[in-house]
Amino acid sequence: MGRRDFLRNLAITSGAITFGGSLLAACGGSSSTESSGLSIGTPQNPVKLPVTTDAIADGLPNESGTLEILNWADYQNPESIAIFEEKFGCKVVTSIYDTEEAAIAKLRNGTFKPDLILGMTDTGLAKLIAADLLQPLNKSYIPNFGNVISGLRSPYYDLDSQYTVPYFVYGNGIGYRTDRIDKNAFAGNGYDTLWDSQFKGKVGVLDSYRDTLAMAMFRAGNFDANTADAAIIQKAGDDLVAMREATNPKVDILAYTEIPAGNRDINFTWSGDLFTALQYLPEGVAPDVLGFWYPEKTVAKNDFMCITKSAKSPVLAHQLINFLSDTDNALLNREYVGYQPALESITVDLLISSGTIPESLIDALVTPEKYEAGLAQVSLEPAVDALWLEQWTRFTAG
Amino acid sequence: MARTMDTLHRGLTQTKLKNSPRLWAGFAIPGTVWLIVLFAIPFYAVACIAFGTIDPIFRDAVPQWNPLSWDFVQARQIFSSLATGPLQGVAIRTVVYVVCAMSLSFVIGFPIAYFLARHAGKRKLLLLVLIIVPFWVNYLMRMLAWVNLLSVDGLFTRFMRIFGVNYNWLDGSPITVILGLVYGYIPFLILPLYATLERLDWRLVDAARDLGANSRQAFRLVTLPMSKAGLVAAGILIALPMFGDYYTNDLLSRSPSTEMIGNQIDFFLNASSQPQNGALLVLALSLFLLLFMSFYLRSTRQQTRQVTR
Amino acid sequence: MALTNQKYNSPLRFLIWGYIIWSLVPVLIAVIYSFNDGRSRTVWQGFSLRWWITDPYASIFRNDETRNAISNSLVLAFATILVVTPLGIALAIGSQRIRGRSANFVQGLTSTPLITPEIVVGAALLLTFTRLFTAVPLGFVAQLLGNVTFSLASVVVIVRARLVSIGASFEEAARDLGATRWQALRFVLLPMLWPSVMASLVVVFATVIDDFVITSFLSAGVSSETVPLRIYSSVRGGATPALNALATLLVLTSFAVLTIGLFGLSTWRKRHGERGGLRAALADVTQLNS
Repeated sequence: MGRRDFLRNLAITSGAITFGGSLLAACGGSSSTESSGLSIGTPQNPVKLPVTTDAIADGLPNESGTLEILNWADYQNPESIAIFEEKFGCKVVTSIYDTEEAAIAKLRNGTFKPDLILGMTDTGLAKLIAADLLQPLNKSYIPNFGNVISGLRSPYYDLDSQYTVPYFVYGNGIGYRTDRIDKNAFAGNGYDTLWDSQFKGKVGVLDSYRDTLAMAMFRAGNFDANTADAAIIQKAGDDLVAMREATNPKVDILAYTEIPAGNRDINFTWSGDLFTALQYLPEGVAPDVLGFWYPEKTVAKNDFMCITKSAKSPVLAHQLINFLSDTDNALLNREYVGYQPALESITVDLLISSGTIPESLIDALVTPEKYEAGLAQVSLEPAVDALWLEQWTRFTAG
Repeated sequence: MARTMDTLHRGLTQTKLKNSPRLWAGFAIPGTVWLIVLFAIPFYAVACIAFGTIDPIFRDAVPQWNPLSWDFVQARQIFSSLATGPLQGVAIRTVVYVVCAMSLSFVIGFPIAYFLARHAGKRKLLLLVLIIVPFWVNYLMRMLAWVNLLSVDGLFTRFMRIFGVNYNWLDGSPITVILGLVYGYIPFLILPLYATLERLDWRLVDAARDLGANSRQAFRLVTLPMSKAGLVAAGILIALPMFGDYYTNDLLSRSPSTEMIGNQIDFFLNASSQPQNGALLVLALSLFLLLFMSFYLRSTRQQTRQVTR
Repeated sequence: MALTNQKYNSPLRFLIWGYIIWSLVPVLIAVIYSFNDGRSRTVWQGFSLRWWITDPYASIFRNDETRNAISNSLVLAFATILVVTPLGIALAIGSQRIRGRSANFVQGLTSTPLITPEIVVGAALLLTFTRLFTAVPLGFVAQLLGNVTFSLASVVVIVRARLVSIGASFEEAARDLGATRWQALRFVLLPMLWPSVMASLVVVFATVIDDFVITSFLSAGVSSETVPLRIYSSVRGGATPALNALATLLVLTSFAVLTIGLFGLSTWRKRHGERGGLRAALADVTQLNS
């Protein structure tokens, strides 16, 4: 039985994708959703999001004019976008966001008014729904939806994919320079390398409070990335402050330029970053200086594409989702972005056989097993969120 | 006859001025209203948000427009955080960086301004132009120039490596940030200093020398006291924006260990869902700077009064 | 005649030239590297105009985002000038001629934006436009309002300085000769204010195209991105020498406007018989007299 079939079977028998780590994720974690009214889906309790608006009608013509996208930096191939612009006779304009919370805050206060949002994850989805910022999709415009990994077609955070279509798949780990660090350094508790003062000044961590605090928790042996336990959250904050003393890490999402440039030896980041990094290697530097430590217990998830309620070009937005879910277009997109598209046919084997993956980065590929074994990371209740943010402020305030 | 005409003329002038105030007030009204609506009222809005409440789901700030219902719980938390809590580090660090940068700026800038003011040569205009040039170069461009020079294979880093100095300048170094602040703000210090020193009555210094003082005494006992007001004003002029700086750290470091209070404000308002904390920090910063600002306003008002007399 | 102690002359001269080199050379290097043939901003790979015009995607004059930023900057600068100049002239004239407590109030209100850190003004306006004056959309309109508020004080300072040096005598002479107040204003005072108007045009233009903090806080995504915003967001990513080129363009524009202004000012002065020439024009524009 191939990996693909394994995943499909799992999806069919359970009705929604489940993670091997879900047993561990069951402790503590997000409690009932009644308290705040947020619809938070978890692997144990998948959620069907409330629908308060109608999707657009079938068969509408494409709008002329501009399609506005909100996306992370360097998270779409300009070439792919240019092809889309030409095919649909429109102009595509992209605004950039650096963190999910910032994006949500700016979407709410009207700073950003895009048609399409790319790269959002389910940690932000509950708030987007609660703020009534999204519109349900009309799948008749997205025939390529069938290309999406079968196990992700009805994810726990959005049963029946009413609002979202998966975009890329990735896992959290530590990217490093193989010419400065031997992979055996990650043999014990690999996360400890980020606290190792011999790397002082050459360390980076993600500017994402959920990911980095969770990483500190994992290092301490607490494998619930959604914990509401104040003591654990506090300890994670303490540990990060200790990291700051030990290695003075940079906090941003630039691993993909800084590791190849030689400014960072180790960086806690998303796995796809290392593939993006291949393009930023200076002349004459071989790709095998890039390495990735994929921890046994870590967060593995996907992000998605969704359309805003106030979209001025909803049909074009649907078309772009469909466009990016086509296998060839996704592969072209991947050439620039580096991450793994969440499409069934783009398997790890396919990527390896394409010859674009250096030996040292094989570990950074997210296989279905790794994905299934990944720890869940879902939206938090506001009160719990506040605890996490408090510790994050402690860390980033220096 | 001339005296009568003079008196008549003065009388007429005064009458004209007395008849004019409503016209001139009318002129001043649009600008004043603009500033009230878009400068004074926003400060009130900041206070209303800082002392307001938080929406439970999004942790978004809900402003409280009635001062009688202001809620000071979060304010107390932030202020205690600044004094003794997690934000104490940022607060102290900001003050330290500004003091260091200002001192260094004075050490470099004052001799330059002094030399310029006293130098009576044909090169003076050229020097003046060259000193003014960075004033007109975009701040970001000047920082960008250093980012290039200080990066791992930048020219400056390579140059220093020749002397065996193998330092990671852009890796969260306080030295880089302080020097960056100096580089960025020193033109804004040199010009006002030059203006002050140029206006001094140097004959008094010459008189002191004639009376037997040596150059150092003349400087200490005559030049310095005379220029003190101008020096303080110039210092305040660059200290104020320096306290609110965040982009220098963002460009030259971006490590939490060199963050200034401006970075925290930027973070709370633009990158997080806690605008109330941002509003509170803005308020705290404004109150702290109010001291300096009111001093500066009083001294400039005195100067203007002297000029218009 | 200045009597500097000869002993200090050489080290001071050394210091001042050292400062000038330290101050200007990094910028010159950045300008030079904007003509780099390769992607590096630190390693010279040959001379090329690719980042300026020849590269079809990445060069600043052909890249869509850069062109958008350039046009946004220019539009914002000109719009700000249109609003702030009449507002500032009126405020300067009015505030300089009223007396009493209201004068102090206006004076204080006008001077405060000059010394308030931009982050405070930007943050206050952001919070105001999103919670109080919500009819004002973030983006161009908010940026315009913010920049006008911030530049108003500069215009007032420049115009007021000129007003003070002119005095009231010319208008009074005109009134003596039979002119009404309005005629005295239009035909006597305003023409005499012309150099300060020119100076404030130059200063406001340079201030607005260089402005970062206020414009950034009040921006609304890519549609209201100006050149400084674009530079700032590009420095953090894998930037190419196009970034240097963009920054150089910004500097060249400021200098072009400054040069035009300076020559305009000294020509005006010559034609109207005022002495001072280039040095006086320089003083106008940098407010060394204030």
